Amino acid sequence: MTSSKTIVLRSSDGATFEVDEAVALHSLMIKHRIETGGADSTTIDVPEVTGNTLSKVIEYCKKHVEAPNSDDLKSFDTDFVKVDQAVLCHLAKASYYMNIKGLLDLSSKTIADMFKGKTVEQIRETFHIKNDFTPEEEEELRKENSWNLFV
Amino acid sequence: MSRRVRRKSAKGAQKLDLPDQTETEDADYLKLNEDGFVDWTRLPDDTVIQLFTHLNYRDRANLSSTCKSWRSLGSSSCLWQSLDLRAYKCDWKSMGSLASRCSSLQKLRFRGADNADLLIFLQAINLKDLSGDYCRKLNDSTLSVLAARHNFLESLQLGPDFCERITSDSILSMANCCPNLKKLRLSGIRDVNKDSINALAARCPDLYEVGLIDCLKIDEVALGNVVSLRFLSVAGTTNVKWDLAGESWSKLPNLKGLDVSRTDVIPNVVMRIFSSLKSLELLCSFNCPLLEEDTTVYTKSNCHGKMMLSFFNDTFAKLSPMFPDLEKERAIFSVWRNGLKKKDGNLDEFMTWLEWILSHSLLRIAESNPNGLDQFWLSQGADLLLGLLQSSQEDVQERAATGLATFVVVDDENTNVDVGRAEAVMKGGGIQLLLGLARSWKEGLQSEATKAIANLSVNPAFAKSVAGGGGITILASLAKSMNRMVAEEAAGELWNLSVGEEHKGAIAEAGGIKALVDLIFKWPRGGDGVLERAAGALANLAADDKCSMEVASVGGINALVTLARKCKHEGVQEQAARALANLAAHGDSNTNNAAVGQEAGALDALVQLIRSQHDGVRQEAAGALWNLSFDDRNREGIALAGGVEALVALAQSCSNAFPSLQERAAGALWGLSVSEANSIAIGREGGVAPLITLARSQTEDVHETAAGALWNLAFNPGNALRIVEDGGVPALIHLCSSSMSKMARFMAALALAYMFDGRMDEYGLVGSSAEGGSKSVGLERARRMALKHIETFVLTFADPQAFSAASLSSAPAPLAQVTESARILEAGHLRCSGAEIGQFVSMLHNQSPVLKACAAFALLQFTVPGGPHAPHHVNLLQVSGAPRVLRAAAAAASAPLEAKIFARIVLRNLEHHQIESA
Repeated sequence: MTSSKTIVLRSSDGATFEVDEAVALHSLMIKHRIETGGADSTTIDVPEVTGNTLSKVIEYCKKHVEAPNSDDLKSFDTDFVKVDQAVLCHLAKASYYMNIKGLLDLSSKTIADMFKGKTVEQIRETFHIKNDFTPEEEEELRKENSWNLFV
Repeated sequence: MSRRVRRKSAKGAQKLDLPDQTETEDADYLKLNEDGFVDWTRLPDDTVIQLFTHLNYRDRANLSSTCKSWRSLGSSSCLWQSLDLRAYKCDWKSMGSLASRCSSLQKLRFRGADNADLLIFLQAINLKDLSGDYCRKLNDSTLSVLAARHNFLESLQLGPDFCERITSDSILSMANCCPNLKKLRLSGIRDVNKDSINALAARCPDLYEVGLIDCLKIDEVALGNVVSLRFLSVAGTTNVKWDLAGESWSKLPNLKGLDVSRTDVIPNVVMRIFSSLKSLELLCSFNCPLLEEDTTVYTKSNCHGKMMLSFFNDTFAKLSPMFPDLEKERAIFSVWRNGLKKKDGNLDEFMTWLEWILSHSLLRIAESNPNGLDQFWLSQGADLLLGLLQSSQEDVQERAATGLATFVVVDDENTNVDVGRAEAVMKGGGIQLLLGLARSWKEGLQSEATKAIANLSVNPAFAKSVAGGGGITILASLAKSMNRMVAEEAAGELWNLSVGEEHKGAIAEAGGIKALVDLIFKWPRGGDGVLERAAGALANLAADDKCSMEVASVGGINALVTLARKCKHEGVQEQAARALANLAAHGDSNTNNAAVGQEAGALDALVQLIRSQHDGVRQEAAGALWNLSFDDRNREGIALAGGVEALVALAQSCSNAFPSLQERAAGALWGLSVSEANSIAIGREGGVAPLITLARSQTEDVHETAAGALWNLAFNPGNALRIVEDGGVPALIHLCSSSMSKMARFMAALALAYMFDGRMDEYGLVGSSAEGGSKSVGLERARRMALKHIETFVLTFADPQAFSAASLSSAPAPLAQVTESARILEAGHLRCSGAEIGQFVSMLHNQSPVLKACAAFALLQFTVPGGPHAPHHVNLLQVSGAPRVLRAAAAAASAPLEAKIFARIVLRNLEHHQIESA
């Protein structure tokens, strides 16, 4: 399944990566660009993604393109998202912009797991989110979520 | 695949490559917030929405409440397409608070008739799919209102509980109000009449699926008028006139699937339908006794090219012609699901219906658990359920999980799990499938999958695989769920997993102990199921020394005592008492015993539980008091709380109870009787007679414990007299000479020795003088009998050869050999007070050579090096100047040989300890 063609991906910070076309096509965004961009587009800019993140994304695509049915894919995925918060956040964004469904699912599931069972305050603290509600809005919120009680 | 990802460019080169514009665009996406952290609120909206879809409603609400942008994303209509209210408290206010988000709600699940009344407050006018369970009390007026308010309804499903109060009237309203109706599935309607069905036929042109399941009566002729029908299920419905049905249903031009499972359909009708209904592709006929009598019908179905499902056909094989490229028959459901993109509308519709009716029938069959289906379950039933477990229909998945939870239990009363069936589930990959569902955010799935795991884990091999498959971490986190049903099943599974020793450590490590304790605080009342399971699991865990410390350190003692004090449910009381008993069982290695006793109200609560009507509760409470009474302060606390009276009453009332209850009743009294004040109280309250009764028990554990209690009691001369008067002497003599338990024989002998060492004579003579004469005659006879049996008992431990060797030599070896044959290992656990040791010492002076020997024999047991309480006893002996008495006894010419040699061994034991401590 090695394709003869390679494609160069260029990140926001100018890092370039040469990859098999098949690996690049795992990103539907790139696929679309190639299909609409004509024959000479062997270098594709990915301005939404930094080099660090892009190299991670390529690592993911490579594994999934080269060994899509391998037994260790699951453990590869599990290990792949054992990264710090910032990297995970960048991966989620990158997979969204590059339209890589598997990676988007994986990263958003991982992030979602970090939210599970946490109180509002705990979420704010963990993810450094500023409370920007007015007291009136907080009261509204309380009402809005008042249904959320188990039998 | 030779190429590698590589960074080609150096940092310096990048600016040349980059247009300026990109950099500014880039800046926005990757910006850090003002504190220098990643700004999560800048995630693309779609990604945030996707995050929400992985969370349950509570987590969604919390996430929405963190900041404005996430609040607005959290109310996106795509997150409010479907709503499952089954586990939630509903009232008009809470429903009203949801209304603003329900305008595009498509799918709604609810539970119970009371909640059905409230659904209109959601104002979900665009609702297409409504599904309710526990609808026994749902009535026509509520259903008619629901129909009138939801005119776009396409699917209505009420069941599987019988909707006994729904009549044809509301079906009529459905037909009138909901012209878009496509699917109607109703369970347990008494009578579905002609008018209502004709109305459906006339008004709902798109109605393609009808399920009238477990109904008492349906108008089979009218059903023939619903020409739009492609799928019909009358599973479990009674009183069907099959001749009429066969005739009229043959007129349904589009009917592709018919489900007649669990009915009394007859072969003729089936044959008629086969020959006249060209469109029919599949007949589902599980559990149809009249068809099973004439199995030729199955072969005939083939001739007509129809797929016929039953216990006697392999379902996978029957369905396989629909998938020509199929490699593995068993994978049929997943092959279809993975091919969904092919968008074969007919096939998808067909398989969707099939999944639904199969899950329904299999669950019903699993519930009724008819005999003779082993072969079916092993060869295909388990695999079918596992296939359905992966359905994309949530309710099918739930039923399949419930089915797995149900079909493995072959004996409800003892929750016996069939090994073969559990293995079939394992072999089919069930553990990972179920654990996967348990991790789902959907709580209905979570609880049903966990229930299945819990039931299957009664089988130790299955439990082991669950633990090995990462299940313990998942279950510990489910036990933290705010949803009581989920938490309850998870606690149940932890209860099962904690039965053996092997998983306790892993449960503790996964945070399971804290989760279980927190459960008790979370639902202090009203959740008997969850409390019983949590307490049961904690009880198992507390039996382990390390885990018991963790239980205590996370507030478990307080939680369990609170349960024992306040909970009225007997199952909960029993498990809470058992947990406290186990916590208190590590007296030697940790401080939980004392800690339980010091918890406010603990001892009062346990004493109160002794008075329960429920044997299990009384047994565990008595066990707890027994263990707790090892601690001096607890012992007094129990007595203060009225424990003596309660336990005597228990002993009096348990002569016909289970041995395990009798043992604990006697044991608790034994524990209390360690103090003489309690001992006197027990005698006064009438405890002697029931203990004598228990001492007569055939069961070793019971009579051994009773002997222990009587031994302690007999130290007090008043009690000794009571034992005589209540016929205790023959009982103790019997024990002393014929129990299989050395300990029982030993303690019975010591009890008799206490009674007849002379103290009782003085005490007894204080009594009335008129009776005195005959009494003392009787007493003398009893004394002779007792001494004779004590002597026989002691001699059974005196090996003649070893004795003669020891009498001739002063070397240590022969004495060691005597000790070897005389020692009773368990006796090392007995602890005597100073008064008791003193009594044995004074017995060495007793005129009776038998008592001399017995005393020396007892002191030998209590001082053998290595015994847990030997240093304590040695110390008592030293302090009271016993060595002198012992030396005299060892040298006395008149004493029997046993007494002399045993005394020599005791002296040697004392020396040994002296050297040790020096």
